[in-house]
Amino acid sequence: MSLKIMEKKKLLSIENLETIFSTEEGIVKAVDQISFAVHEGETIGIVGESGSGKSVTALSIMRLVATPPGEIKGGSIHFNKTASESVDLLQLPEPALRKLRGNDIAMIFQEPMTSLNPVFKCGDQVVEAIALHQKCSYQIAKEKTLQLFSKVELPDPARIFNAYPHQISGGQKQRVMIAMALSCNPKVLIADEPTTALDVTVQKSILALMNTLKKELGAAVIFITHDLGVIGELADRVIVMYKGKIVEQGTVLDIFKRPQHPYTKSLLACRPPLDFHLSRLPIATDFMEVAHQADGSIVIKEKERSLTETLSTLKVSKAERAERLAKLQLEKPILEVKKLSAWFPKRKNFFGKTTEYLKAVDEVSFDVYPGETLGLVGESGCGKTTLGRTILRLTPAQAGQVIFEGKDVLKLSDQGLKAMRKDIQIIFQDPYSSLNPRMTIGNAILEPMKVHGIWDHDKMRKEKVEELLETVNLEAKHFNRYPHEFSGGQRQRICIARALALQPKFIICDESVSALDVSVQAQVLNLLIELRESFNLSYIFISHDLSVVKFMSDRMVVMNKGVIEEMGPADEIYNHPQRPYTQKLIDAIPKGRLADIEARFA
Amino acid sequence: MLSYIVKRLLYGLAVLVLVVVLVSSIIYLAPVDPARLTFGQRSDTASLDAKRDALGLNQALHLQLAAYLNDLSPLSVHEPTAANQKKYEYLRLFGIGQKVLVLKTPYLRESFQSGRKVSDMLWEAIPLTAILAISAILLASMIGISLGVVASLHQNSWFDNAAVFLSVLGFSLPSYVAAMLLALFFGYYLNAYTGLEVQGSLIVLDDLGDEKIVWKNLMLPCLALGIRPVAIITQLTRSAMLDVLSQDFIRTAKAKGLSRYKVVVKHALRNALNPVVTAISAWFASLLAGAIFVENVLNYQGLGKLTVTALLNFDIPLILGSVLFIACVFVVINILVDIVYAWLDPRVKLA
Repeated sequence: MSLKIMEKKKLLSIENLETIFSTEEGIVKAVDQISFAVHEGETIGIVGESGSGKSVTALSIMRLVATPPGEIKGGSIHFNKTASESVDLLQLPEPALRKLRGNDIAMIFQEPMTSLNPVFKCGDQVVEAIALHQKCSYQIAKEKTLQLFSKVELPDPARIFNAYPHQISGGQKQRVMIAMALSCNPKVLIADEPTTALDVTVQKSILALMNTLKKELGAAVIFITHDLGVIGELADRVIVMYKGKIVEQGTVLDIFKRPQHPYTKSLLACRPPLDFHLSRLPIATDFMEVAHQADGSIVIKEKERSLTETLSTLKVSKAERAERLAKLQLEKPILEVKKLSAWFPKRKNFFGKTTEYLKAVDEVSFDVYPGETLGLVGESGCGKTTLGRTILRLTPAQAGQVIFEGKDVLKLSDQGLKAMRKDIQIIFQDPYSSLNPRMTIGNAILEPMKVHGIWDHDKMRKEKVEELLETVNLEAKHFNRYPHEFSGGQRQRICIARALALQPKFIICDESVSALDVSVQAQVLNLLIELRESFNLSYIFISHDLSVVKFMSDRMVVMNKGVIEEMGPADEIYNHPQRPYTQKLIDAIPKGRLADIEARFA
Repeated sequence: MLSYIVKRLLYGLAVLVLVVVLVSSIIYLAPVDPARLTFGQRSDTASLDAKRDALGLNQALHLQLAAYLNDLSPLSVHEPTAANQKKYEYLRLFGIGQKVLVLKTPYLRESFQSGRKVSDMLWEAIPLTAILAISAILLASMIGISLGVVASLHQNSWFDNAAVFLSVLGFSLPSYVAAMLLALFFGYYLNAYTGLEVQGSLIVLDDLGDEKIVWKNLMLPCLALGIRPVAIITQLTRSAMLDVLSQDFIRTAKAKGLSRYKVVVKHALRNALNPVVTAISAWFASLLAGAIFVENVLNYQGLGKLTVTALLNFDIPLILGSVLFIACVFVVINILVDIVYAWLDPRVKLA
């Protein structure tokens, strides 16, 4: 395969590209002297954690890096437009570059929710690109757009054409973005984390679509993601980036069979495994040590440990799992949810009376035992988040009971509710918006202690906060820093520390790792498991990703359209799903199995 | 959409009734005798009493209020006399006992001071104010939006800093001070070059007593009124544009290969306009309500001048009439703004 690619024509050759960002702390080399080539018709996967420089690489090719603070400092990006004509994209004047953008080189972005202009119809946004580059009339461009919409398998293209972005789902928006990118038959298609913001089931369908289109159009694809599992599903060649540098590149088979760099190994290992169970997920520090030099550069030292060795030390047997579950269920449940319903008004008449309800949660019942983790899995819109919020009374319940330690939460007085909120905490999905940007993280963690009058005075509370920061692997000296100084994973740890501040018995994790990279996700999941053991916590763990839920939970609830599809021990549900819906969720997980990749190239 | 407009109009009607009740309560409770004001210095008790009777001032407050609302309502009940027919110019629908239910245009009564119909007086002043308000708001929007867009595209440049500084300055300048300064400079010192008058209305009587339109008299009030809106619109456009320009869909537009002009004007500005439209409409409503200070300083015969004159003379029907008109303007403009909102941003639902 690799030989075949080499014979093909080079479309893009990137030499010594360097892109820097000027920040308050000084100059950051986001992309540091990288070189690689893209050939006709091949799919290159660029993988790395956030901050590795993969997105900046993509934006540099399009020259869309926000300037300031960013600046393309050096290097060249040669684009071979035709057999005889080659241009350096970095030297090209702006008008000439604009003719290439969206025409020869097109891009799909990470956030379909915000990447379409909210005030224009979806169809017109695609028409705009076609009319611009192909100089055709609105009617012809509209015809083409409708064809593209059916090509990207959008249901009812005519309706979507006239819909505004907020009227269609996230997956549909990403399909519109793909249609827009493909509208002028680009030679190179850059997809920057196109599925990261989507549910696994939607991700699956988008990846399948991209695979089909790729074969059909013969365009070269640069696919950027943090998840090696996704790369395994569609890339021919893989580039692994770490801190602005390429640490490894090779064919997808080589990378999966014989990963050389310790960072690549950690990326392969950090995804929750499906066929066996681990006590914790391997992370980068299991494979390497990073030392910072005085001049700001880093030196990576590999630890003498192979991938299989590491995994075998962490494996948990089926018998151990079963034993743990049986032991948990000896006690009385800490939380009993009985026929809980939460409805939202859907339609109102002239006088404001609700005539139709959306049944977000409809007669749901389950128990959670002390020390247990109950997983709650389903696609977006299945009601899992509403269920979590209704248990905490953040959303009013329509009917049913939520019994926590013998008391019905739904009937508590304001006073009782306050006491209950001390015992049940929630960690939200988005670590960026769930911390107040104007409050130091120390005070953010301290505030709930003050509200509930835990500990005698602020000095003592401050000590406890510093202890908590260390518990979640941050440092005590971070107390006076603000949220923007931390990465996504660090922020989620801060949110966890805040939840722990009240010494709760029960924590609801609402998609708490969905916004994080897989490598960071592994760290946060490990932390949650550690905390469960040391503080004897019980969790409800909500996610759209069945592999994560399977790793975290003892038992699992599969939810669909507000009702429970099935419920049982986590491994049992994964190994023997009873419902087609569960099977669909399992199929959607990007597995990155070697056998699957080999089958793809066979 | 239609049910929304109907709902809003019903709310608006309630607001108008409330305005009448509140304003007339305040006016009638004030220790001033309108009958005496109509006569001026020389008056005797007999004619004062006769006048009070004629104006209905001897009746209880709630009866006066009911009578006024009855006069105001397009559907009302009156005695079918020839005098009433002439006064209200109504269309008879059907009789109710001694009286008749009629359809008519709202009757705002007659001015105590001049004896003319209040509606006639308002209709003379409103077009002048409307022309002034529209020209001031158009000028302010054009200048303000352009300045704001250019400033946002060159954030932290000298132009941006100057625009921000000037708009703060402009916003802190009261309109009557601006009016006086403008009149002093352009109407007095520079009169030889500009040919502008210190004071003057759009319509003036010439030497022969004919009305003529003097367009240049619009310039100073328009400038004086426009300064503060320009400042606010510049500021709002600038900050909204800065916000929008950092959004993901702007990057998408650039990735399509669109020119800078299209990215800015088509994709960014359209999204940034919402807060700007709110500001513009609020200013426009208050300008339509009569630019009280500016019209008085520059002696422009619009609604503002009329209202102040009515207040000074305690001309109750005229005060009520102009206040009602102002309330109507606010009700209607608020509904229009909501509709424009929904048009600008399809995510806004009218409900």
